[in-house]
Amino acid sequence: MIIRKIQIDNYLCYYDTNTFELSEGLNIILGENGEGKTKFFEAVDWLFNGENRELEMLVSAKKLNETEIRDSFRVRVSMTVEQYGEKSIITKSFLAKKEKANECSTSSFMIEGISENSSGERTQVDGTDLLKRIFPSEILRYSMFKGEAELSIFENEDALATLVSNFPDVIRYDKYSEKGSFLREKSEKAVEDSSKRNKKNLADYNRIESEISRLQKEKDKYEVHHNSTIDEIRKIEEHLQDAEKNVSNADALDILNKRIRGIEEKISDLNVNIDENYTTFLFDENWILVNFELFQKEFADKVSAHSKTRRELQSNFDKQKGVKEGEKKAKAELLNNAVPLPIGVPSKSHMEEMLNDEICKVCNREAKKGSEEYEFIMKRLKSYLESQVIVDNEPDNAEPLFKFNYTNRLDNLSISHEDNLKNLRLIRTKIKNLFEYNEARKSDLAELNEQLTNEKIEREQIVGKSSIAEEKLIDVLKNYNAWQRDLKNRNQDQVDYAMKLKLIENELRERKEDKDKIDTNSANSFEIRTRNIFRDIETIFIDTKKKKFDEFIDKLQNKSNSFFKTINIDAFTGTIVFTQKNKVNRTIVEVELQEDGRTFYKPNQSLLTSMHISILFAISELASEIKEENFPMIFDAPTSSFGENKTAQFLNLIFETENQKILLIKDFLHTDKATKTLSIKKEFESVRRNKAFWVKLERPFDPNNLKTINSQVITL
Amino acid sequence: MARKDDILKSFLTNGLLESKYELKREELPSTVREALNSDKPIVKAIALIIEGLDGTSPVTDSVLRNQVTQFLNEAL
Repeated sequence: MIIRKIQIDNYLCYYDTNTFELSEGLNIILGENGEGKTKFFEAVDWLFNGENRELEMLVSAKKLNETEIRDSFRVRVSMTVEQYGEKSIITKSFLAKKEKANECSTSSFMIEGISENSSGERTQVDGTDLLKRIFPSEILRYSMFKGEAELSIFENEDALATLVSNFPDVIRYDKYSEKGSFLREKSEKAVEDSSKRNKKNLADYNRIESEISRLQKEKDKYEVHHNSTIDEIRKIEEHLQDAEKNVSNADALDILNKRIRGIEEKISDLNVNIDENYTTFLFDENWILVNFELFQKEFADKVSAHSKTRRELQSNFDKQKGVKEGEKKAKAELLNNAVPLPIGVPSKSHMEEMLNDEICKVCNREAKKGSEEYEFIMKRLKSYLESQVIVDNEPDNAEPLFKFNYTNRLDNLSISHEDNLKNLRLIRTKIKNLFEYNEARKSDLAELNEQLTNEKIEREQIVGKSSIAEEKLIDVLKNYNAWQRDLKNRNQDQVDYAMKLKLIENELRERKEDKDKIDTNSANSFEIRTRNIFRDIETIFIDTKKKKFDEFIDKLQNKSNSFFKTINIDAFTGTIVFTQKNKVNRTIVEVELQEDGRTFYKPNQSLLTSMHISILFAISELASEIKEENFPMIFDAPTSSFGENKTAQFLNLIFETENQKILLIKDFLHTDKATKTLSIKKEFESVRRNKAFWVKLERPFDPNNLKTINSQVITL
Repeated sequence: MARKDDILKSFLTNGLLESKYELKREELPSTVREALNSDKPIVKAIALIIEGLDGTSPVTDSVLRNQVTQFLNEAL
């Protein structure tokens, strides 16, 4: 079957009518990003799978803009297919009616089918039926692929097994193995019923049956454990293999991280030890007194001088006091220690009278002016007069010279300071020591910081060299060790389960043999022979089914590898390997890339893409062989990760394959930097193809205005 | 070769027929029609099953079972 024509009308960037007249073999549609390649693919996909909603989103903005309000136009994708000499035209379309500027309403879509026989007679047929008949869903599933990611359809563990079992050569044996089991079970039942009719062995028979039933359950249980352990082992091995590539880096990273942590701890300790809170020291540790001694000396000198002055004053005071007391004492002696008269006796007037008269009227003697007696009276008068004068500041003979002994306190202060001087003298040394200590620690700190920087650079280099992120790299080592332990344990589990299974199977076989013995003695001989034949038929049917499955897988593997080697000619590729795994109640087929029997470690995207494409081509070819019918395949940007050379090789390979292929690629186009003009590179001339198209936006256009967007189809 | 003859061939090439039933390859029938006339019960039983499943008029499970079991019970 081939697609002869695809016509797209007013579908998104495809304004008006755009026709792709396709050829058998390889059709290449070139196009820059955003110029209509993917919209072509989506239009075809819409034809096959599109739903009846949001149709207004599929309308060409340019067409809508040009349409008058209340006018309508049709959005249409049509495909002309040729199969067994007949043409079929399938058209999916809907009507868009402009309601307002930039707004339209749409009808529901309709699918029309037209069949045209070899003589050119056309018949209208049900479009949906025609579509399903021409492109059954199982074919569509393996016919259209958008981007590289969609090519990996076999990563789902059931996908390949499902695909393989869809191939008639494999699927037709399924029913035989089912019927073989059914017939065998019925014959077993007939024999059992026959045996049970013999009451003699019934007790033994029932016991053996229940034993078999128990053993069968045990066997099933251990098979589940065994299979899941094998799965786990495989996963752990994959993890380990994955981790092995990073484990040396992870190990180095671990060592470096430990060293970095050690350095950081040292830095932290040093930072704690460096105390530069000098203001606190200034006051709390009396650093402010570092030069106090000079002031203390001056202070001490002054206090000393002051003390001396004070003592002198006190001494003089004391002398004066002593003289006065001596005088008093002398006077007292003069009066023969008699008590002297009060100072006012004789009275002032008497003394003035006596001085005036120059006679001492006390002792009746002459007291001539200038005489001793006269002077005596005069002195006595003066004393009286002086006693009458109030002298404020006259010191009280009884009071001390200094009322408070501040001098003494100053002395004590000075002495106390003198005592402290010893400690204060140490401050200078303390300051020096602290500064030296801090400087030394800072120097250590600088050294450690430099070391830390170097270690971190080394760590960055290790992380940079690694293909995984740092956090994951850190986990790798932990996981690697854990996985190794797990692997050891799981391997031991597997050995244990396998041994246990073997024991159960042996026991089960023995019990079945016991049962067979009873059957042989109790049941009808023809029933036993019939059962035995059914047992063998079941074995043959199951073996054949498995053999056919294996053969198909081998064929698929060989074909896939043949394509794979051709796509990656002269490059190391590894081998595509299909592996069958028996899971509980089902068989799965896994596919992986291997090198020397081991999983290929992280193949690049280009290799993976070529692997997926190879498998798809192999399937397509196998489907062709079996169905004697070719189906087209449509790929949108399947080779994004390929370089242009590899794409060219790939296209040349596809050219040689049988069925029709439509490839949408962005290679072989060149944009002139100065003029922004697009052109097709010369290299494309050497690419073998049956037909080529170029979809490009009509220039000029405004990238921000959909109304200006129109993809033109140029047949090359 | 018809599809059912292909299927028969796939079954009859199983080693069990040679090892247990001592059937020589060259003696084996190549068509279901021939196999239905075989004097080897296991060969005819297989042919009956193929005819029942892929013949012109496929039969139900119980009919298939009755046909094959009856044949074997009588033949053995």
